Amino acid sequence: MSNTFEKRRQAPSIALISIAIVAVGVVLFVLNLMLGSVSIPFEEFRKAVFGGEASTYRAIILDYRLPQAITALLAGIGLSVSGLLMQTLFRNPLADPSLLGISSGSSLGVALVILLAGGFGGISVSTLALWSTFGVTLAAFVGAFLVLLLILALSTRLRSMVSLVLVGIMIAYIAGSVTDILKFFSQKEGLHSFVIWGMGSFSNVSKAQLPFFAVTILIGVVGAFLLFKTLNLLLLGERYAENLGVNIKQSSMLIILVSGFLTAIITAFCGPIAFLGLAVPHIARFLFRSSDHKLLIPATAFLGMDLALFCNLIARLPSFEGNLPINSVTALIGAPIVLWVIFHRQKVLK
Amino acid sequence: MKEVLKTNNLLIGYKGQALMPEINVSLSEGDIVALAGPNGSGKTTLFKTLSASIKPVGGEVKLFGKDLRDYSPTDRSSLFSLVLTEKPDDLFLKVFDIVAAGRYPHLGLLARLKPDDEQIIYDSLETVGIGHLINRNFVSLSDGEQQKVMIAKALVQDTPLIFMDEPAAFLDYPSKIELVNIMHKLSCEKHKTILFSSHDLDLLLRHADVMWVVAPQQPLRQGTPKDLVGQGIIDEYFRPIIAKNEFYWMK
Repeated sequence: MSNTFEKRRQAPSIALISIAIVAVGVVLFVLNLMLGSVSIPFEEFRKAVFGGEASTYRAIILDYRLPQAITALLAGIGLSVSGLLMQTLFRNPLADPSLLGISSGSSLGVALVILLAGGFGGISVSTLALWSTFGVTLAAFVGAFLVLLLILALSTRLRSMVSLVLVGIMIAYIAGSVTDILKFFSQKEGLHSFVIWGMGSFSNVSKAQLPFFAVTILIGVVGAFLLFKTLNLLLLGERYAENLGVNIKQSSMLIILVSGFLTAIITAFCGPIAFLGLAVPHIARFLFRSSDHKLLIPATAFLGMDLALFCNLIARLPSFEGNLPINSVTALIGAPIVLWVIFHRQKVLK
Repeated sequence: MKEVLKTNNLLIGYKGQALMPEINVSLSEGDIVALAGPNGSGKTTLFKTLSASIKPVGGEVKLFGKDLRDYSPTDRSSLFSLVLTEKPDDLFLKVFDIVAAGRYPHLGLLARLKPDDEQIIYDSLETVGIGHLINRNFVSLSDGEQQKVMIAKALVQDTPLIFMDEPAAFLDYPSKIELVNIMHKLSCEKHKTILFSSHDLDLLLRHADVMWVVAPQQPLRQGTPKDLVGQGIIDEYFRPIIAKNEFYWMK
């Protein structure tokens, strides 16, 4: 019978694109280990990694670049998947992980710790350095989770998704202005380190914290994947989804929980990383010409990994002293890609 | 004939306000019933109540002898399917993806399609005559083609009862006739029960077997188009609307 049907889509092309994405990821990962303010030639790199002898190169790679590269790829995966969930739930191409005010919550948490401690306690930031990384991470995490809990509690009382987005945006505004007020009253040093935190960084996760970071991201991504049927059904519209067995309220809460959990963890460890979560789902949909989340979630995860590794590489190109703020790089690299996708997809859809 | 759906003193409306007197109707296996009424008469409200989207103001809806609201969403997904006026608008959604989503209630956790399921999807697309559109993007189709995709989705869901809200809207005349034919085919060959709504009097009077007629604050009346016209009910239910909008050149 099937000769009356065009062949169903081109499994090979999906496989080819997938292999390419993973291959690019591996190359970028190795480049992340090799390139930086100190460039390591390939022969030295091979010796340092597989040789087993202690050397400066080995220390640079294993203690500094490896945790940073792994953090970057994990954050890229988590934020991109989180953004995809938001875009599907709210059926809005502009949605991203920060939509519900979760990253604003963590900014406020961090502002309270850095600025209040610096401003009113009269303690300079340098004395905070000992516990600052941990304290800042904890504050960001608590801030993000309080907003997430607030959103989840409010979501049970709201009928429409649009109201929920509005509530999220309002929470973001409130958290933002409290943060601004704190900034206004704070001292220069505190302000400086707060601004630096706000620019995002992949180098704050220590080797000891890395396993925890990796496992939590993995849990979030697996959770997201288990929701793929619900996400596909939501694309048809709420009433169709409901008719096909989706409990809208319960599923929305689950999606917000998974997406918010990923955002909260990543913002706590890396600061508010902008743009990856918005851009990567668009690139994934375009590359695979698909809206099927069974394909999109893994695709978004791997593309997010590639883009984050690429941004991290650009941020510390050999010619730069130290690292560029990661947030300026993500938008600088990501925005042209999204623009290209938008203009190109008009042709494809015709 | 096996009873599929029955309402007992059903009151429909919003916020405790009933739109019309109590409704007592029933649907049997293989019935094709047209729900007719002018715009704003409560057709969609009745639809939403019968499909468990909103709660009744009073009375009850029995589906296969059990109260509609006692079924879980998962149970309901295998008892009735919907064809709505709202349409998916995602840019990369394929015809195949939409129809396959209709099959989800029959699939496991990973939604893996077995050869049987794929066959059901192909057959449904053939039944509504759009097998050749399987790989197309949904948004690139015409309104009529999109309507057929949503009907195919309802078919793969494989439910005894199908609700169609304004399925003929946006269709040109030949497509409307085609739609009526498809509905009769489903009723005869697959014993589906179909309730569809329309405000297209011309189509209903020519092609419906049984009609339920509604108007604001009027009791629901049922019968064949011939009887309803003969008893002056069509006239009575649709006239207020026509009279209110009397053509100015006739004055």
